[in-house]
Amino acid sequence: MRLFQNQHVFDYSWDCITAANWKKYPNEVSTHVVAVDVLRRELDTTGKILTSERLITCKQSVPQWVMMLVGGSNISYVREVSVVDLNEKSLVLRSYNLTGSNLLKVYETVKYTPHPNDPENRTLFEQEAQITAYATFTKVCNKIEEWSVNRFHENAEKGKQGFDSVLVILDESWKQTDRIVDGLVEKVDETVVDLKKTTDIFLKETEIKSSKLATYYGYFSDAFKRSNDMNSDGN
Amino acid sequence: MGNVMSASFAPECTELKGKYDKCFNDWYSEKFLKGLSVENECQTEWYEYMECVQASLVTQGVKPALDEARKEAPFENDGKPVDP
Repeated sequence: MRLFQNQHVFDYSWDCITAANWKKYPNEVSTHVVAVDVLRRELDTTGKILTSERLITCKQSVPQWVMMLVGGSNISYVREVSVVDLNEKSLVLRSYNLTGSNLLKVYETVKYTPHPNDPENRTLFEQEAQITAYATFTKVCNKIEEWSVNRFHENAEKGKQGFDSVLVILDESWKQTDRIVDGLVEKVDETVVDLKKTTDIFLKETEIKSSKLATYYGYFSDAFKRSNDMNSDGN
Repeated sequence: MGNVMSASFAPECTELKGKYDKCFNDWYSEKFLKGLSVENECQTEWYEYMECVQASLVTQGVKPALDEARKEAPFENDGKPVDP
């Protein structure tokens, strides 16, 4: 099991960030997220706690070494349960991959809270991801884990850069309308979720791969046997 | 950039999702965040959207993995995994 941790401060209020959380797709940065559906949503009796279950659909390219061994669709799914708590002023999102989870699981927790030093204007973002590979071949597991951790880092960096550029552009117009604000925050926030989705896809591919590996192994050993047989016949 | 509606995983549900999302987002900003909500609104839009989604989860074969995940990290447990 490997752990990925990340922290970030957004220069937007917690209210804005959480409202944007529902609207962040589609956007041109996270093109691998092709759909987001709400599956269940409940408000507690006090009206202060909103819990939502969502299905996030991703489509993404994966490394060549995985693709070689994989056939079929590159669509994968992530399930997320989020809780907005107005009493605590927190938004916590927990998610993991539905696809390929028997082979590799990325369990991610993201938390948004008002920044302790500037709760009105800034939001603290904390992210943690546990990446676990279950495959039986240790080397394959390590390779997969290593790759997924690297991917997380890359996307985290990309997300940060994307966010910064959005902030620069938006700084001027930010105060004008809520609508514009929403759009921007959307971008910012998406950075984060980007990470989880990326890791997910390849997991799914690896699942198929592992079964293919077994098949290939059979082919190879057959082929080996045959060529040995032929050699011994020839000699 | 915030005005493009996101798609549903099932294309036939995208329009219903759009209607629900719009209603929900207004409710979230205008009522929930302000502490003015006593109930989960947008019920009409919700049920129409859900009817479509539930059917598609089955036809697209997502349901089994989803049910497994729901057992492992229940909605009622805020999506936290329960101990095996």
